[in-house]
Amino acid sequence: KFRDAAAMDSGAPGANRGGGLGTFGAGRRPPRPVGALAVGSRQPSVETLDSPTGSHVEWCKQLIAATISSQISGSVPSENISRDYRVFRRPEIRRALRDGNKLAQMEEAPLFPGESIKAIGKYSTYCISSPYLGTDSHKVKWYVADDPHFILDVPLGVISRVEKIGVQSHGDNSCGIEIVCKDMRNLRLAYKQEEQSKLGIFENLNRYAFPLSNGQTLFAFNYKEKFPSNGWKVYDPVSEYKRQGLPNESWKISKINSSYELCDTYPAIIVVPTSVKDDDLTKVAAFRAKGRVPVLSWIHPESQATITRCSQPLVGPNDKRCKEDEKYLQTIMDANAQSHKLIIFDARQNSVADTNKAKGGGYESESAYPNAELIFLEIHNIHVMRESLRKLKEIVYPSIDETKWLSNVDATHWLEYIRMLLAGAVRIADKIESGKTSVVIHCSDGWDRTAQLTSLAMLMLDSHYRTIQGFEALVEKEWTSFGHRFALRVGHGDDNHADADRSPIFLQFIDCVWQMTKQFPSAFEFNELFLITILDHLYSCLFGTFLCNCEQQRLKEGVNTKTISLWSYINSQLDEFSNPFYVNYENHVLYPVASLNHLELWVNYYVRWNPRMRPQMPIHQNLKELLAIRSELQKRVEDLQREAATRSISSSSDRGSSPSHSVTPVHTSV
Amino acid sequence: MFSLKPPRPTFKSYLLPPAPPPQDEDRSIPEPKIKKLDPVLLPGEIVVNEVNFVRKCIATDTSQYDLWGKLICSNFKISFITDDPMPFQKFHYTNLLLGEHDVPLTCIEQIVTVNDNKRKQKILGPNQKLKFNPTELIIYCKDFRIVRFRFDEAGPESAKKVCLAIAHYSQPTDLQLLFAFEYVGEKYHNTAKNINGIDSGSGGIPGGNSQKTPLFETFSDWDREIKRTGASEWRVCSINEGYMISTCLPEYFVVPSSLADQDLKLYSHSVFGRRMPLWCWNHSNGSALIRMALIKDVLQQKKIDQRICTAITKSHPQRSDVYKSDLDKNLPSIQEIQAAFVKLKQLCVDEPYEETEVKWLSSLENTRWLEYVRAFLKYSAELVYVLESKHLSVILREEEGRDLSCFVASLIQVMLDPHFRTITGFQSLIQKEWVMAGYRFLDRCNHLNRSAKESPLFLLFLDSIWQLLEQYPAAFEFSETYLMLLYDSTRISLFGTFLFNSPHQRVKQSTEFAISKNIQLGDEKGLKFPSVWDWSLQFAAKDRTLFNNPLYIGKSAPCVQNGSVKSFKRTKKNYRTISFCVFQGFLRLCHTCIFNE
Repeated sequence: KFRDAAAMDSGAPGANRGGGLGTFGAGRRPPRPVGALAVGSRQPSVETLDSPTGSHVEWCKQLIAATISSQISGSVPSENISRDYRVFRRPEIRRALRDGNKLAQMEEAPLFPGESIKAIGKYSTYCISSPYLGTDSHKVKWYVADDPHFILDVPLGVISRVEKIGVQSHGDNSCGIEIVCKDMRNLRLAYKQEEQSKLGIFENLNRYAFPLSNGQTLFAFNYKEKFPSNGWKVYDPVSEYKRQGLPNESWKISKINSSYELCDTYPAIIVVPTSVKDDDLTKVAAFRAKGRVPVLSWIHPESQATITRCSQPLVGPNDKRCKEDEKYLQTIMDANAQSHKLIIFDARQNSVADTNKAKGGGYESESAYPNAELIFLEIHNIHVMRESLRKLKEIVYPSIDETKWLSNVDATHWLEYIRMLLAGAVRIADKIESGKTSVVIHCSDGWDRTAQLTSLAMLMLDSHYRTIQGFEALVEKEWTSFGHRFALRVGHGDDNHADADRSPIFLQFIDCVWQMTKQFPSAFEFNELFLITILDHLYSCLFGTFLCNCEQQRLKEGVNTKTISLWSYINSQLDEFSNPFYVNYENHVLYPVASLNHLELWVNYYVRWNPRMRPQMPIHQNLKELLAIRSELQKRVEDLQREAATRSISSSSDRGSSPSHSVTPVHTSV
Repeated sequence: MFSLKPPRPTFKSYLLPPAPPPQDEDRSIPEPKIKKLDPVLLPGEIVVNEVNFVRKCIATDTSQYDLWGKLICSNFKISFITDDPMPFQKFHYTNLLLGEHDVPLTCIEQIVTVNDNKRKQKILGPNQKLKFNPTELIIYCKDFRIVRFRFDEAGPESAKKVCLAIAHYSQPTDLQLLFAFEYVGEKYHNTAKNINGIDSGSGGIPGGNSQKTPLFETFSDWDREIKRTGASEWRVCSINEGYMISTCLPEYFVVPSSLADQDLKLYSHSVFGRRMPLWCWNHSNGSALIRMALIKDVLQQKKIDQRICTAITKSHPQRSDVYKSDLDKNLPSIQEIQAAFVKLKQLCVDEPYEETEVKWLSSLENTRWLEYVRAFLKYSAELVYVLESKHLSVILREEEGRDLSCFVASLIQVMLDPHFRTITGFQSLIQKEWVMAGYRFLDRCNHLNRSAKESPLFLLFLDSIWQLLEQYPAAFEFSETYLMLLYDSTRISLFGTFLFNSPHQRVKQSTEFAISKNIQLGDEKGLKFPSVWDWSLQFAAKDRTLFNNPLYIGKSAPCVQNGSVKSFKRTKKNYRTISFCVFQGFLRLCHTCIFNE
């Protein structure tokens, strides 16, 4: 029983797109079938139990079935999509493909524009000692000759490391490779030694999975898909600040950093107090780590209380002071007439901040900043978070200890760290909303924990960020433009898997958002698939959205011109990512309960590769149907309103009638 | 409009309706009563005692949100009547029988009186004396609620009297003292009148959603179920009419066609509770699900067992064997379940806001509650496999056949038959496998507070259904809210559904009661108590829409596309998966703060 496998990679642009993909409109092909539509609908038929191929293979097929639906859906004319469809069509496709030459099939396999096959290998055994199998995107694919549905795709970007392993159970000179992925998967393949030398799968994988370590470019720069929507336009700093009512008398939009000279990791456009002179700003920059001066992230529309972010002050062991910095913070406080205090949230642990102080960093002392109150949020550093995720992976891989599951989850501390982040953000939001007090947030450099806290607090305070476009803008603003070091934290295209700079900071943020969507199921316009898709493409290197470390570097690499934005893909098919229960709670502040008995492990993300933990019944299609029903009802309400308006002659003003969201909610609670 | 005095002026609760929507008119209905500080009483309900100027404590750490009002003890509930609005809106629905601050007496678990000055504290049992004037009353409820009242400004004597009255009325010594009897007696006396706009609900069971829920009290209900499942080799047996054979079986039940009444009568003497084999359900492949008590007569055991199994085999179209499942050996006992429940309650109630929450999941695991949920799901899924893929009939055996068998029999049917995932179907299932099959609701729910036989098996069952709902969000017609309100209904001693240990007990007790109250029963068998399934008694039509699961795709949707085979495959996997959440809706009851629904 031989299984063929193919490893593919980028290179020749315009490679042939196989399958029936053409029937799908440009840009409509979903790269990720998460929460997959057809998963549960595909029921192994009764015959499979005594099928000659053996139960193991059948078991594998079942695993795979869950992840391949996009291959199938890719060939479906969109208007035909229905639940029944996938169940019944699948066998036909299977038959059709079986007749063809097997290798030819692989070459015709669905490829992305710009994607090409780099290597094809035959594997004597598909050794699934890990329950974590495939996804579909643009890089590694495995096919089983007997059954073209046995396809495993792993975007090369997801690969953290590739290792050779010995495979004892298969005797005759078998060896194998293990592919450790960034998205909690581990894949193992076994093959005969002689095959290996011929094919060089291991070498090819190592070469193409880590392009940057091999002097090549990331796949995103070769990806040529066309989408009707341009995601690079979702965030425009000036219009975002304008939405917040800026500039105003206290705050100005400054171009001082337009050539990234004030701070090379900040965006070109920043918002600072009107009265601060550029010279003083330079002095403040010299006093703040990496020149990351306090800048405005968000302003409360009524109280004018602000969220400002920065890095730690360079106080050092000798308690150095900076007059300009002190005055600067005083100005921030004065810009808000409602409060005579300024709260500084230092995300770090007090003890760690002290250590930093000894090394030249530090925090604002009460004597130097008399009107400021300093609060430590006691959040651990990136290394602790990385370790916690490693532990989490350990308890879900290779197998789950069912009897100890909950205490094992406890022992990873993952949820505890999520809780601390949420609790910190709630405190910040509460100070702004209820205390009407401006806050300054920093950690050490102000690009990890600070980004987590500002963006979460803004999500709680401002309903705009809970829409799909608003959330995209939030990510672009607080993360990408303010220099969260995505390339370093994720390690795009880099083979140094043990790099201490890697850490799941952005993942934690998305987890916190997910926790909020669980607690407020109708407050967010997006659904779970939206969040999972973001995380998948955090690693995939298919889109340019999460490349590079800061705006300056992105500009230099031409990310916005040479790659495609993830938001292009998402915004081209909003119905996939919309939450039918969404009701725009405008002006409502969300305070999630940051308590461990309200937090859940995000099983649909972390443990999704384990078929045992997979949702038994995917509801994605149901959600889409509800969405359709909802929009139909909304339309009817609008029609009726219009009708009523025309009838009543007296109402000359049509009450500023409904923009799409203000219509009566269809379902507010379940 | 639901007026709200925001504790913090800028606090905008997400939970409040976005604008004053029209449905708020509903909330204004109870307003007149609030104004007068008069209780709303049901037919047969009388105020036993009351005290004014009572403070209801809302938050544990501050008296900022406390409410002022009158505390009333009736023979049905304790009621706190206040002009003050609740600081936080709790739920999206209103119970027509109970106000926001009301607690039905049957929901009360423990009453603690406190005197701060004398530093005294006493747990009040029935007919006890209280030697001090209480300054505080703490009521621990069976549904995890804790209600606290302060009597600082109240008359000390009346406060004491109310406490004693609550203690007395919440722990009745006799079943007939439960309010349902008084209520239904009043109904019979006033059959013409329709009091308070609440429909009498006696007998007539408009099961919430258009369809009637079969109660399985009659021959025809069973007959219809036989036909629905295509169980052609089975018949309705009426030898227990008038409960002549067994007092813990329904009057009608289904047996293999080949078993004669005479034989059944003979065998019944050797079985616990004289419980003959009860047919539950038939698979479309002909396999049947049967439940039965153990045969206590050792000498006869083998013979009777053989005869019954042969009869079951004969009723199978393929003459397949019978798979015998011993529930007592494979599942946790009701005592173990009770112990787990006590721990769970401690975890949720006693120190919910301690910083020990760091260990929340481990503590949850240590209660073993979820382990037991899993045990039932896993075991039932294994039996589903036997019925479905091995084509064998399954007989559930348990010593008395009145506890674990109710659970397992219903869970299997929910897994296999989409009909039981509808609201009407699910209700009929509870009637069939719990109410009529003699699950001891009276003892297990501990309505009379005798505690020894208490066990939350029914709650565990609802929890396992909730787990299935989590795993199959589109397979059930009902929602989490429905399950929660169903469980709440077991604590309202107005309905007959969850009040008795067996149908026979209802007939016997209510006949006695009717005679003592001079009620003419005519040809009815006992009093007809209102049924829980008549949801209109508790909730307005608007609120009942919350029972519906918006993701439900209907019985005809994919899960049953190829008949039950499909639905099974899907369900079978359950035992592998376990959702590690607690029935959040249930836990929710114990949080006094903001709810996120």
